[in-house]
Amino acid sequence: MSRSVALFTGVFLLVFFAFGKAAYAMHITEGILPPRWVFTWFAVVIPFVGIGIYHVKRKKKAVPGYLPLVGMLGAAVFVFSCFPIPVISLNGMATSHPCGTGMSAVLLGPFVSVVVAAIALLIQALFLAHGGLTTLGGNIFSMGVLGSFSGYFAFKIAQRCKLSLFWCGFLAGTISDLFTYLGTSIELGLLVINKGGSFLKAVAEIFGMFMMTSQGVLCIVEGVIVGFILLFIYRRKPSILLDLGVIKDAAKPVQM
Amino acid sequence: MGFLHHTFSDVYARQNNWLTRIDVRVKLLYVISLLVMNLLAKNILISILFLSASFILLFSVKIPLKATLRSMLIPLSFAILILFVKGLHEGEKEWMSFAVAGHTVSLKEEGLRSGLHTCAKALGGISLVIVFSCTTTISRVCTGLKWFRVPNTIIELLAFVYRYIFLLLDEVSTMWIAQKSRLGHSSWKKAIKSLGTLGGMLTIRAFERSERTYEAMRARGYEGGGILTINLSPWKKREYVFVIGMVLILSLFIYAGNVQIW
Repeated sequence: MSRSVALFTGVFLLVFFAFGKAAYAMHITEGILPPRWVFTWFAVVIPFVGIGIYHVKRKKKAVPGYLPLVGMLGAAVFVFSCFPIPVISLNGMATSHPCGTGMSAVLLGPFVSVVVAAIALLIQALFLAHGGLTTLGGNIFSMGVLGSFSGYFAFKIAQRCKLSLFWCGFLAGTISDLFTYLGTSIELGLLVINKGGSFLKAVAEIFGMFMMTSQGVLCIVEGVIVGFILLFIYRRKPSILLDLGVIKDAAKPVQM
Repeated sequence: MGFLHHTFSDVYARQNNWLTRIDVRVKLLYVISLLVMNLLAKNILISILFLSASFILLFSVKIPLKATLRSMLIPLSFAILILFVKGLHEGEKEWMSFAVAGHTVSLKEEGLRSGLHTCAKALGGISLVIVFSCTTTISRVCTGLKWFRVPNTIIELLAFVYRYIFLLLDEVSTMWIAQKSRLGHSSWKKAIKSLGTLGGMLTIRAFERSERTYEAMRARGYEGGGILTINLSPWKKREYVFVIGMVLILSLFIYAGNVQIW
């Protein structure tokens, strides 16, 4: 363990012990990103949000009930992200909160999931002081774009590999979380790039610390919960998964 | 149950005070331009000024200090983290070094200065957002966003999501109590399984509720078009005075923000 990693661990644990709010560590707070990165991240996410809006608009014309569906599922994902998940890690037994983007990407598709994540982040930034308005672009990139696309593709690849529905959900939840934290680590690592610091070292340290605290365990636990959620819906109301295009045929038994 | 009771800061926005009476468009213009100023400022004083001014404004409209400080805890923890990241990685000149687990750790002077500036920016910025959110309801935010030409789909979804968060939170709260009273969270394994069931039930209820909502909307003439019925009132003398004041304040801040102090 390098010297800076040792100190870093101490600081991270101190912060988490002191405030017990590790849950929202993936949202970069207001004022942290310098102007050029603020504009860069907004420029990166605008096309994704734009395509997401186009998807919603197009689908709304064909199926008028699509707007309330996205709104309601968006609210459900927001509430899901408030669940206190018990995790054990270096900072002891703690409760952490899931991202929820893996689940929203599976249910709504990656582009619409980016829009839902953007709205959830806007609400959190405005009314809960988690994240920020100038860092909204960066947060949408890590949680919305990276989280949604990685979760969605993990789910689809797992389906192609004929894994059971639980494992498909597990991979979507876990990989989406991992990419979200990786995205946040990259964004924070980029802050030291022009100041004589090592970008890769900083990213590795930040990502390592995320994984060593409750967030690392959370990735796996969120995957398990997303798996259970999909199984529960499939057992109780498979038509929902069929309508949303998560599974192809409700009559065909899905391997569990 | 604490997780279900996040205090959304717009509960204070329903009060009638001089800040809630200001037009949302003016407030948005102020917040956005001051946030940009906060980011561009080359000295720490601007951020400290924003932080102190925000506290005074919040105090003037009787927002509890405890609620403000609670909202600032997460940004503060993040800011401290950034302070150490920068202290460890930026600059050459050593400010302090000590041994941790047999390794010498050195904090650099330049990095700590830059980290402290970033901390101030984080706290200054978040305090501005808190002032805005404690004095503006979601419906007014939607009005303001429409005026700023944010796509209707985003505003419609924002209104939908915000409207149903509290309703679904109540439903989840009821199910959570039911699970707990049946020992559904008595062990870690059971808790995870119960949370899966809770999430599944939440999704099913959200889906069913969306169908009922759509039926209700259709009964009121909805055919897939826009659902926003927001009326923007024309600007009055007061709003123009605020905007002119903003231009003057901003010029002052641009000058003050460019002064190199350290």
